[in-house]
Amino acid sequence: MKARLAISLAGASLWHRRKVLALVCLTLTLSVTLLLGIQYLRTEVKQSFTSTISDTDLIIGARSGQLNLLLYTVFHIGDATNNIRWSTFQELEQDTRIDWLIPISLGDSYKGFRVVGTSKDFGEHFRVGRGQPLNLTDGQWFDGVFDVVLGAGVARTLNHRIGDEIILSHGGGRTSFSNHKDTPFTVTGTLEATGTPVDQAVYISLQGMEAMHVGWESGVAIPGRTLTPEQAEGRDFSPSAITAVFAGLDHKILTFRVQRELNQYAGEPLSAILPGVALSELWRLMSQFERALLGITGFVVITSLIGLVAVLLTLQTQRAHEIAILRATGASPGLIASLYLIECLGLAVVACVTSLGLSAFAISMLGPWLLTNYGVQIQLRPLNIEEWALLISVPLAAVLVALAPALSAWRHSRYQGFGSPGEA
Amino acid sequence: MNRQPESGARSSEYVPAALEVKNLTFCWDSQHPPLAFPDLSLPRGEHLFLHGPSGTGKSTFLSLLAGMLAPATGSIRLLGADIHKLDAGKRDRFRADHIGVIFQQFNLVPYLTAEANVSLPCRLSQRRKTTTGKAPTPAAQRLLTALAIPQSHWQRKVTQLSIGQQQRIAAARALIGAPEIILADEPTSALDSDNRDRFINLLLTMAEERNTSVLFVSHDRSLARHFHHQLQLEQVPA
Repeated sequence: MKARLAISLAGASLWHRRKVLALVCLTLTLSVTLLLGIQYLRTEVKQSFTSTISDTDLIIGARSGQLNLLLYTVFHIGDATNNIRWSTFQELEQDTRIDWLIPISLGDSYKGFRVVGTSKDFGEHFRVGRGQPLNLTDGQWFDGVFDVVLGAGVARTLNHRIGDEIILSHGGGRTSFSNHKDTPFTVTGTLEATGTPVDQAVYISLQGMEAMHVGWESGVAIPGRTLTPEQAEGRDFSPSAITAVFAGLDHKILTFRVQRELNQYAGEPLSAILPGVALSELWRLMSQFERALLGITGFVVITSLIGLVAVLLTLQTQRAHEIAILRATGASPGLIASLYLIECLGLAVVACVTSLGLSAFAISMLGPWLLTNYGVQIQLRPLNIEEWALLISVPLAAVLVALAPALSAWRHSRYQGFGSPGEA
Repeated sequence: MNRQPESGARSSEYVPAALEVKNLTFCWDSQHPPLAFPDLSLPRGEHLFLHGPSGTGKSTFLSLLAGMLAPATGSIRLLGADIHKLDAGKRDRFRADHIGVIFQQFNLVPYLTAEANVSLPCRLSQRRKTTTGKAPTPAAQRLLTALAIPQSHWQRKVTQLSIGQQQRIAAARALIGAPEIILADEPTSALDSDNRDRFINLLLTMAEERNTSVLFVSHDRSLARHFHHQLQLEQVPA
């Protein structure tokens, strides 16, 4: 009965002071929204991070560290230390334990986007997310030597359509001074957005990669030795080297054995890595940063809780009369103190519920926009345990900080006399 | 200079007096001189006017009587119980059950309606709720009607009402559930003389209907005529 009285009094008191408290509640709401948002992004980023590559059992490249190999093959960051011979790739094709192989050849760029030379196996076997295949929104995979397929991000940013002719650049970088002017490529297809680095690259055949580099053996185009598309017709452009290979095995159980054999390959020094292991190592590095971010957001919430308590303490002086009345009518100091606790808890709960709604609204509004404009995939989903824990910790922290005004109210109201406190 | 109430102090031995004060002193701290208060005894259902200029410790005396401050020496018996021998929780409950209070001003909880302010004691005290027949709201409405608060004001925020109305609502709150004792601390000081007499008449009439003793403190001696007893409060070094 006393609890019900306390709750109804606290509710009425909050409503009475709603104008002042709305502002502190808003501050708290925004900081809790920030906290939820950061935590949500953390899990989503982790999710989209781990979904950059799927179903690939091994990535094989020239001898290097596993992070380096992962970064340049999957994330298109950094460069390969060396190439691997085409003969090595052909030998791998003979291995009966290997189900499929995707050769990739890197090194060129198109307006800052990586050019990936590969085979049709890329479209067939490469998977992202939870085994989601790459689909074309438009057109078809490259067929001719000078055909190019654009990642969703490239097509969107540069506004290319099927049939456009594009000139690829030699080497990386956004502005390149040496362009493959003589060998323009024709857009034959664009990929669906995946929210992975796949969106940020253009795809040509290995033959196309070879063809445009004829006459570039010294690193720059030697006039008269480069090919025109007409000259290229009918010629064989078997590559002599590629950058890396994605491999899928028939039996996952053989993964470690094949990996070890490849790492000890006699023909040339190779590195074979497990993408999942490399990804989690990379994530461990990144998670330091995002944990720091979460920590900062936590402090933002604590700051606004302290602001809330500061306001409650300020209001306490205005409430002297009310406390005197309640005490004189027979309310115990405990009841007075509980008013502060309940009010602070109530505000925190209101802030949490509002910020849940706000976050859900923001995510459902921004989700599609983020995907089309930034290739970041965020969708509404139920909160996980960690997020619930984070959310529930806010009212708990509120009760904890409300102990300050509650204790001071309890102490003062014990010696509350008639009239104003202290002048009884 | 202390005067005993003029009559009826020990007319009924078997019913404990509403209020009995003996050798009461109070001390704020070592820097203030201690305050001494007159002995008094007030039978159930009778009213006492306590006159004292400001600075004579009127509010302190009421706080002691209500059990909200602890005396240095002496005893206070309310309805036969020495309230300062009760522990803090029981003292709060005793106050909720048996005492109604009216302050000088700011008598009402600002965020409650007039009606909720009146029924507040019934929510703090089971006894007073029972006395209203477990129906605090109709009881509050009857009191508000009797104290001439228009029905349109019952659900209003009390801050929108006039001082006179606020004081009458405070009186209704003190009266609800028929507590044995009402302590009133200059409740009429903010009212004009017409309102003042009307307020006191209403309060005392309704208190008598409920066999409630009213202890009324004021610096305005002209009000004394309404009461059975009167007593002068003076600063007496202990």
